[in-house]
Amino acid sequence: MQRMAWLKRTASRTAETSDAVEFARLLRDHIPAFYRAAYRWTGAVDRAEDLVQQLLLRLYPRLAELRELDQIRPWALRVMYRIFIDQLRRERSSPVQFGADPVVDDDVAAGEDEAWLDPGPGPQELSERELTQERVLRAWEQLGEEHRVVLAMHDIEDYTLPELAQIMEIPLGTLKSRLHRARARLRELLAEERMVAADRV
Amino acid sequence: MKGTDETGSYVADADFHTLRQALRRMPTPEPRAGFVERALARAAAQERTTGALLPARLGRFLSRWETWAGAALGAAAAAAMALILLRPFDSTQDPLPQLALTLHETRNVDVLIDSERELKGATIRIAATGSIELDGFDDEQHVDWQADLERGSNLLSLPVVARTAGKGELIAVIEHAGRTRRVAVELTVIDPKVSRS
Repeated sequence: MQRMAWLKRTASRTAETSDAVEFARLLRDHIPAFYRAAYRWTGAVDRAEDLVQQLLLRLYPRLAELRELDQIRPWALRVMYRIFIDQLRRERSSPVQFGADPVVDDDVAAGEDEAWLDPGPGPQELSERELTQERVLRAWEQLGEEHRVVLAMHDIEDYTLPELAQIMEIPLGTLKSRLHRARARLRELLAEERMVAADRV
Repeated sequence: MKGTDETGSYVADADFHTLRQALRRMPTPEPRAGFVERALARAAAQERTTGALLPARLGRFLSRWETWAGAALGAAAAAAMALILLRPFDSTQDPLPQLALTLHETRNVDVLIDSERELKGATIRIAATGSIELDGFDDEQHVDWQADLERGSNLLSLPVVARTAGKGELIAVIEHAGRTRRVAVELTVIDPKVSRS
């Protein structure tokens, strides 16, 4: 028989209040960073807020673990990443889908086959003049979410590859491959933007 | 000039630098005013209405709630509702439709929930009316939360306080997949001083 315990709220109210205060003290300063990351991943304010809210709901019951952490941010980002991936999987299995390039990971460590990895001639020579904020934003919005995550975390927020491999819980080789593909895809999109711009002239 | 970046790809150094700088210049909004405090408050409030009332086992279940909620809703809609029987449980006697308490007495009233199959994410609602209250919930007439019920017997001990002389009702409602089962137990609170006179 399962005994479903019933805890007296009177006994726990004081503890709840102090828990809420401590939770806020531990997390408050990190939330803007979580939000910025969530915004870059999702590309939308509402979805970013929802993702951060889900993260906090997930973390609150784990206050005891949070207290023991030396570095909360990477640990919490790992949790947020898992929530995000779960959401993506549900969205992709639903009839209503968010546009995204599917991520095709190849577990070949980048660098082992440099000829394959070299994106070759094409949209490599990007001039600063061409990379207007508007074009970069349009290209970014067209990237798949998982490409956005790896570029945001590595190329914008400066997480190292080993740190990122831990956050995303994927092998280093897979991560390198994904980062390479994400950059290549971004270059393609920027090149398409360049062609569209040329057509407009 | 070309080099190899840490992914092993050949890139033009200047190009890589330029692209990275462009990415870093992308505007990223700060959270909207009040979002941080609202989000923190919601997290704490959610815990007060769910986790703080629940044993650790159910707390862990709730931490996975967001992950499986979508799948469970779909599955539950297709499944037939399991038969749930609720009855007041007393280990020494047959189930009683009525219980008597002495004024100011606190007693655990055991509710036995028999389920023919495992029920994920059932809503349990407990209400106390009239002369009785749930101990620790003086200002709330009902409390509800979500839990998963195991196949077989699930025992829930509810601490009830007799506040005033008279009649009261303890009501337990289980909801799952749009179906509801309800049982009410009548409790009579007796004031010994009045009954002696």
